[in-house]
Amino acid sequence: MGMIVLGLRNLLRNKVRLVLVAILIGVPFFLLLAMNAIGDAVQRQTAVLAENVNTVLQLRARGSMGHVNMVGQDRILPQDVPEKVRGIEHVERVEPYLLAMAPITPPNFVMHVGLAPTAVKRLESHGEAGNPRIIAGRDLTPEDAGQDVAIIGQGYAQWAGIKPEDMGTATLTVDPTRTHPVIFAMKRPTRELRIVGMYASGYVFGDLQLFMPIETFRSIYGTDQGTSWLFVKVDSVENVPLVAQRVRETVGYVADILVPESAAVFTATTSRTVKQLSGAGGLLAIALMVIVVFFVLLMTVRERAREIGTLKAIGASDGGVTVQFLTEAVALSLLGGALGLLLFQAVGAMVTGRLFALSIGPFLPSHYKPLFESLAVSNQVSASVLLLVLVVAVVAAVVGSAYGVWQAVRLSPLEAMKHE
Amino acid sequence: MNRATPLIELRSVSKSYRKGGETIDAIADIDLELPEKGMVAIVGPSGSGKSTLLHLIGAMDRPTRGEVVVAGRVVNGLSQGELTRFRRRTVGFVFQTFNLIPNLSALENVALPMEFNGAAKSERTKRAKALLERFQLGHRLKHRANELSGGEMQRVAIARAIANEPRLVLADEPTGNLDSKTGALIYELLKEISRERTVLVVTHAEPLAAMADRVLHLQDGRIGA
Ligand SMILES: Nc1ncnc2c1ncn2[C@@H]1O[C@H](COP(=O)(O)OP(=O)(O)OP(=O)(O)O)[C@@H](O)[C@H]1O
Ligand SMILES: [Mg+2]
Repeated sequence: MGMIVLGLRNLLRNKVRLVLVAILIGVPFFLLLAMNAIGDAVQRQTAVLAENVNTVLQLRARGSMGHVNMVGQDRILPQDVPEKVRGIEHVERVEPYLLAMAPITPPNFVMHVGLAPTAVKRLESHGEAGNPRIIAGRDLTPEDAGQDVAIIGQGYAQWAGIKPEDMGTATLTVDPTRTHPVIFAMKRPTRELRIVGMYASGYVFGDLQLFMPIETFRSIYGTDQGTSWLFVKVDSVENVPLVAQRVRETVGYVADILVPESAAVFTATTSRTVKQLSGAGGLLAIALMVIVVFFVLLMTVRERAREIGTLKAIGASDGGVTVQFLTEAVALSLLGGALGLLLFQAVGAMVTGRLFALSIGPFLPSHYKPLFESLAVSNQVSASVLLLVLVVAVVAAVVGSAYGVWQAVRLSPLEAMKHE
Repeated sequence: MNRATPLIELRSVSKSYRKGGETIDAIADIDLELPEKGMVAIVGPSGSGKSTLLHLIGAMDRPTRGEVVVAGRVVNGLSQGELTRFRRRTVGFVFQTFNLIPNLSALENVALPMEFNGAAKSERTKRAKALLERFQLGHRLKHRANELSGGEMQRVAIARAIANEPRLVLADEPTGNLDSKTGALIYELLKEISRERTVLVVTHAEPLAAMADRVLHLQDGRIGA
């Protein structure tokens, strides 16, 4: 207890030096906090980016469009594929689609889609670009499963003479026997579907689709087994390549796998690199602190050799001497940490952005620069930042002072006797 | 205490240093017994081994040969922990350069060895205050080393040396940095505390040595007549 107080009091012996050392430790602390803030900001930014990156793989039967009535393109995926894919790690959701084409007067044909009522309604050949939005009636619900209901694109509705106000009462007849140069006839009875909702997508072709429950589709077209397409949602953009590989291993030769290109590009660069760079910057800052503490302690022990000898001669234990110098080192680096925090609060937001541009910017691939130029660096001091400062201060103090403390412990009480 | 047992006993003690190729015997085969209580002066020319002898008895240094026994214990065989305890309880040091801890007050300096020895705060403050008052320093309790005169500093140091009531006090030229008048005062103090313990003092000042109960003349590491 006494040695702790003694260590703290020793700090105040040379105030000029105290201030100097606090600055020498405070600046690397500022650097550490800035790097930490950059890492956080980049992580937040990339999280936003990642949300907008497509993480959905598409599986189709190898070499086939997978439309059940399209000439030469009617091979579909085996029945067991969805189950197999569902079991792969990092797969969040699988959504089987069944597709059939239906001829109409120009523009030639429409698409009939069977899917789980709650599945994302993706528009053929527009993928994610044109997510449909219900403009009349309602979307499909789980209760619709197996029912003869559908939602219709506004272009298809217009062709069929169905008006938005007719939702819930209008019907559409699906006739699998009708043909077209690329559509072959299926000898199946017609079916009347009740139209419960109308959607718009903003694309002419996107508006020419009909979404129905997958069981309904199966019974209309007689497709008891398999799926046209399988959409595989991966939990995060980093795992897309891994999942693609697992899918390839699991389902083998039967499927073509379409990996979203943006995901591949995204993982190659991005946050991991930046995090590593800012982490390296942080480590450098910690190394600087350790070096400062190291030399300050060494100098202090050399200066106070006689005093340390005296303390030992009057009964201080090695443990006591250790505690005294360790206290001094920890207090010193905590003081530096506090200074660094103040500095960061004062000029962090302003300086950190520039620091980022100078230190990390050059390492980024050019097409990511615009994304990070608008980086919003926060100078908020959260509990986790405080903890970081605390832990780093203690670690830097202990590591940096170890040698000096060892020197002090090793000093003989005879040092007290020397007089020069 | 058994009057017959000496407090300090040196048995064929030598301390050699290697300097270049040759070996210097700073202490050469000394046999010595010193009793409990009283003042012993060690005198002799520079380099005769006075400080070395003091260091050996205070267990600050180990002899090359022989045994040093203090208060019934062979001090050159003590472990690190035992050495620390020996310095806390059995021996007190007074230095030529006073060696007060600069950022502590006079009172805190005197209380420090008691703290090391595990005394309660109220107890050590009370005793430190009493000691300083006994040495006419009641008005200097809160002063730091740099606010005290040389004589005052050495009086604080002596109070500190006897804070844990050791049976032995060792002083190496305690008046070396003081004028003769102040030095005389310090010797009177040392003489006074030697009524309750053994005080071993190295000095160049022969008249002051005359105050001692016994004088050891050192010459080339040996004790002369
Ligand atoms: N650490 C050491 N290394 C080498 N030689 C030493 C060492 N300490 C003392 N000596 C030598 O031992 C001898 C005795 O030294 P010591 O310091 O005991 O003398 P002293 O009587 O105290 O002298 P002074 O009156 O000058 O203080 C001297 O020759 C000295 O050079
Ligand atoms: Mg000497």
